[in-house]
Amino acid sequence: MSGTIRHRPRRRIADRHVAWVFLTPFLIVYVAFLVYPFFKGLWISLHHWNLLAVAMNPDAAKWVGLRNYTHLMWGRGIVWGPLSHPLVQLFALAVAVGAGLLHRAGRTNRSFMITLIVAGALVFFLLGFTPGEGGRWFDRRFWPTVGNTILFVALAAPGTTIAALLLAAALNRETKMMAVFRSIFFLSQVLSVTVVTLIWQIMFSPTQGLIANVTRIFGGSPISWLTDERFAMIAIVITTIWWSLGIAMILFLAGMQDISAEIYEAAALDNARGWKAFWYITLPNLKRTITLVVVLQIILHFQVFGQSHLMTQGGPDDRTQVLVRYIYQTAFRDSEIGRAAAMAMFLFVIMAVFSALQFFIAREGEE
Amino acid sequence: MKRIALGLALAAGMATNVAAAPITINLARFFGACENAGTDTHTTVGEACIIQSIINAANEKIPGVKINTLPTDWGNYYDHIKAMFAASNPPDIFVIHRSALPEFASIGALADVGPDLKSVGIDTSDWTAGAKKAVTYGKHIYAVPMDFHANLWHVNMDIMKKAGLVKDGKPILPHSPAELLAQAKQVKEKTGKDYLAADFSQFPIGVRLVLSLIWQQNSNIFNGHKATIDTPQALNAVEAITQLFKGGYADPKLNYADSQQAFLNGKAAVLVNGDWVVGDFTNQVKKPDVALKHYYVSTFPQLFQSPATWADNHTWAIPASLKKHDPKKYHAALEVAAFIYNHNLDWARTGHMSVRKSVLNSSAYKALPHRSEYIDTPSIAKDVPRTVHYNKIQDVLNRNLQSIWLTGKDPKKALAEAQSEVQDILDQ
Repeated sequence: MSGTIRHRPRRRIADRHVAWVFLTPFLIVYVAFLVYPFFKGLWISLHHWNLLAVAMNPDAAKWVGLRNYTHLMWGRGIVWGPLSHPLVQLFALAVAVGAGLLHRAGRTNRSFMITLIVAGALVFFLLGFTPGEGGRWFDRRFWPTVGNTILFVALAAPGTTIAALLLAAALNRETKMMAVFRSIFFLSQVLSVTVVTLIWQIMFSPTQGLIANVTRIFGGSPISWLTDERFAMIAIVITTIWWSLGIAMILFLAGMQDISAEIYEAAALDNARGWKAFWYITLPNLKRTITLVVVLQIILHFQVFGQSHLMTQGGPDDRTQVLVRYIYQTAFRDSEIGRAAAMAMFLFVIMAVFSALQFFIAREGEE
Repeated sequence: MKRIALGLALAAGMATNVAAAPITINLARFFGACENAGTDTHTTVGEACIIQSIINAANEKIPGVKINTLPTDWGNYYDHIKAMFAASNPPDIFVIHRSALPEFASIGALADVGPDLKSVGIDTSDWTAGAKKAVTYGKHIYAVPMDFHANLWHVNMDIMKKAGLVKDGKPILPHSPAELLAQAKQVKEKTGKDYLAADFSQFPIGVRLVLSLIWQQNSNIFNGHKATIDTPQALNAVEAITQLFKGGYADPKLNYADSQQAFLNGKAAVLVNGDWVVGDFTNQVKKPDVALKHYYVSTFPQLFQSPATWADNHTWAIPASLKKHDPKKYHAALEVAAFIYNHNLDWARTGHMSVRKSVLNSSAYKALPHRSEYIDTPSIAKDVPRTVHYNKIQDVLNRNLQSIWLTGKDPKKALAEAQSEVQDILDQ
């Protein structure tokens, strides 16, 4: 007995040592490639930092404190009003109030409702700011760019999820043909963004594209997808859905194969087949997978760059300009890496919020 | 002592080895990729293959020098170059526009090559005045010029003939915005084709078109530190173009590739684009599946008081760090620049204009296809005042002009916003 007591601390130390041995390679890489660049980015964002000038002369970086942040996010003569963006603000308010009422009635998932209340109230509050008479944002392009990015995510994340879900439901069969189809649909995922955007630029071309040719056969006049303000965003969303369908589909297929066949058999006895079975059996059982896919898609799509950069160059008139492309342009075309780093920090906060959300939802599921 | 002697001998041996090894020059350029360009500089076609054949020939013919062409693409070229400078690993020689040179030269990134040009056989007295200005910043020469290029009026003669707009084998050019509209109407009515095609939706070809028309009214987009875009002249220039869109005589939604395709497919009478397509189009016309059969190239027409067209130069620069830290490699890079410079006539086959008086006056240059048709272009070349913010300002104009013709924004409002955005840049 006493021997055991004597030995335990030593073993614990040994365990700890072993743990460190295993952790060290990860930690070195993590610190060198993630932690250090993050803090360096934060440091740069507090400076007026011209990429070329600092490369020539390291002393050219000038401390400006939070000025890069205020330049991006604030302006002159900014005022707050409950109806600055009436449609979006009222909608957000309605969502927050509705969620509050449902929460009081105790009818729904608690944390989901709280999230909705907080998000609705935040959107209502933040969109209340606008330049007053004679006022202006210091950076006119930043908030519209954030808006475009959110619109892109709002279209691409549900779009990918629904398309992947339907595809997975259709391919969830144990036949050879289905295995071939699964591989075909996954194939687009392995292509690089340059290849994907090249394929779709040709598809969307109004003079020689497949879509234009089909339109002509039916007597219509082709759409200039990438340069028409009404279609440019849709075009890059379609491309993105096609590209990122694979992983979501595989996750759904894995989720579906986890659902016991007995449940379907029991449902079939109650005459629930096909669409009914999908609605009442498959969907509820996939709830956690769906949440995971949606959150992953949101985090992924906030980082959209290639589709906008290569297909539309952010145009027409900045309608498809997204945050990462603005960061890229500010850093490399305009050489203002301090301001670009500040924008990157903003993007980091958005993604951190969604990562935290995913973490909480996953934990709640476990509980 | 014996050890020291041995060490010295070894070091000497290594030094000789180093001297014998070829110097590798990393070269960065855009113009596109061309595999198997070969080393025959006289037969290649198109920008990508002509420049690569010249580089390949330099690689073969300059003793002790090996050239490694870095893969870079046009759209992200300067971003790439800046990132390389920021990582203290710039290319040893790289192509740079006259318009982009101030941004690099102003912070001391480029080597002052002026004093060393003679050592590689470059005689600056052979340069045109424009070429000399293009590579000079302050009092120093920071690059070796390669060409002069400008916006031209590419014409499908069959369509123009059918519309009754050809005289003495030459297209009749418009002399005012009203004549431009009348010609467009005539083409549409008599042939059913569009009058004009250009990239108005992606790359800044539309910007250059509007700028030319602003310069033709003796105005500019900024003057010193004052932005001057919200002006009657700019509005005139924009309206000269938008009247074509309104009448259905041109499509603002075509991008670069689609506008070229529309012209080659015989769907538009005129294409506004640079001289760099002349060589390629001359070749395309020979193909049976290309609808464009009779191709003519004209100097950009004069619609207002004075003639003007947008123009720029391609030049070759070397990083200042190379001159300072590795004189041998610097000299090798300069030799590469000289080799390219000596193949100015080959490069002119693309359609670009030469920067050497001796080449310009040669019969071989004058005999190049279509050359005589736009021989006057250098005399009407204009640009915005030199600025380190060139690309940024161009982007402001591109976005705001797009908002006029692609999203229907009021031109006056768009020009006012462009002015205020450019003023922000100039105030920095």
